[in-house]
Amino acid sequence: MIELVNVSKNYPNSIDVLYNINLHVGKDEFIFVVGPSGAGKTTIMKLLYREELPSAGKVVVDRVNVVELDSNQVPYLRRNIGVVFQDYKLLAKRTVYENVAFALRVTGAPRSNIRRKVMQSLEMVGLLRKANSFPAELSGGEKQRACIARAIVNNPPILLADEPTGNLDPATSWDIIQLLDKINKRDTTVLVATHNKNIVDDMKRRVVVLENGRITRDQQLGTYNT
Amino acid sequence: MFSNLEFFIIEAFRSFRRSALMSFVAIGIIAVTLVIFGMFILLVINLGNIIGNVSSRMDVAAYVEKDISLESAGALQIKLTNLPGVEKVNFISRTEAWRKFREDFGGKLNLDEVMTSNPLPHTYTIKVKTPEYVPILAKRLSKFDEITEIRYSGQLIDQIKTLMDAVRLGGSVLIILISFATLLIVVNTIRLTVLARETEIYIMKLVGATNSFVKWPFIIEGVMIGVVGGGLSFLALKFSYDAVFLRISTALPFLPLVSDQRLLTMVYLVMIFGGTALGMIGAYVSVSKVLKAEI
Repeated sequence: MIELVNVSKNYPNSIDVLYNINLHVGKDEFIFVVGPSGAGKTTIMKLLYREELPSAGKVVVDRVNVVELDSNQVPYLRRNIGVVFQDYKLLAKRTVYENVAFALRVTGAPRSNIRRKVMQSLEMVGLLRKANSFPAELSGGEKQRACIARAIVNNPPILLADEPTGNLDPATSWDIIQLLDKINKRDTTVLVATHNKNIVDDMKRRVVVLENGRITRDQQLGTYNT
Repeated sequence: MFSNLEFFIIEAFRSFRRSALMSFVAIGIIAVTLVIFGMFILLVINLGNIIGNVSSRMDVAAYVEKDISLESAGALQIKLTNLPGVEKVNFISRTEAWRKFREDFGGKLNLDEVMTSNPLPHTYTIKVKTPEYVPILAKRLSKFDEITEIRYSGQLIDQIKTLMDAVRLGGSVLIILISFATLLIVVNTIRLTVLARETEIYIMKLVGATNSFVKWPFIIEGVMIGVVGGGLSFLALKFSYDAVFLRISTALPFLPLVSDQRLLTMVYLVMIFGGTALGMIGAYVSVSKVLKAEI
């Protein structure tokens, strides 16, 4: 589903953010990418939905090399990738329903499908009763659920979550990870960048460790530390 | 695109309403800028009109031999009328000129004691289309054998010609500069409204919106801001020009201000369509710049 081949990323006058990364993520896999801040976790995410281009190497998503993708094809790549952020990136002046529907509407989805899909998505994340609330009226966990609902409303085969529990307390963090696990079980490849040790250790999934832009460990049923 | 038109319009209205303060600031700036632009255009048009009016009163007087017959004078009048730059030729016979002279001065002087016969020649007063023709016409007239003397106010004509050239050139340059400044002001004002919604654009791009899908609501909003701004500038300009026109034409009735409704309507239409175009261009340029910087 996802393949990074000899991928490096550097910026002018800076050290390598990523160096010679090789990573294969199979269909419906759940994988944690862990490492300290600045290790390159977010850069890997950005390469996958082509917010960034690698300085070298190949980034393949669903059999498409995104590096060679024409810029007018990028929106179609992104419709197959849901993205969840630490800071939620919800539109403050829209309700939860509108935030989720917005993601469908901008892809030109027919209006008749929108309500049904948004409701399904909100039900999936357990936020139906908050559909008409504005982000300011939600708790951190609810905001993250709304962000996840927006990310999955298109039924993307891939879900990327960049520090999804970064702003949440341990109990809420666990709820969010359980939700991502539930989404994974519905045939979605899930890639979570985190430095939440407890969650990684409790989940016992594949763990890829990044340090200074290099993969130092790739372990099935792994833990945060060796 | 048209299947999404409803969405674009709703989004444009929604963002207009949600960032109402910013939208009204943009409308205000467009209206004020266009009013200044329109006032300048009206000033240049009126100045040109006044100068043109003064210059249209510049006549050339051509005097001919006393013994020319009335038939020959008539033929000469036709020849003169056909000369380039000539608008109208009036013929005043020496008899008529003498009668008028006697009427004007007969009461003050005993003309019969001074003159036994009519000393005046036949006269043609020639009206030119523009003052630039006066020296050229004078040169041509001097080649006619029948014409013995030509009179025109050479220095005044030269000054008017210089003034007209200055108004035309200066006016054109200033209109271009003001247009450019107006465009810059409007583009940057609308850019602020676009920049205020950078997160929204980022999210739209992230969830797979195409660039044109992102652009359209902003362009429609830009058009809305432009139409309202242009409409307000039209109202402000029309009412202030009407008021100024009324005052000046009462106080200085000899000053020929532009009252041609067709010409004024054209200027007002420039305000409305100019505002609309500026809003649209402003939004397009601004959102394109943000999109370029975005993912």
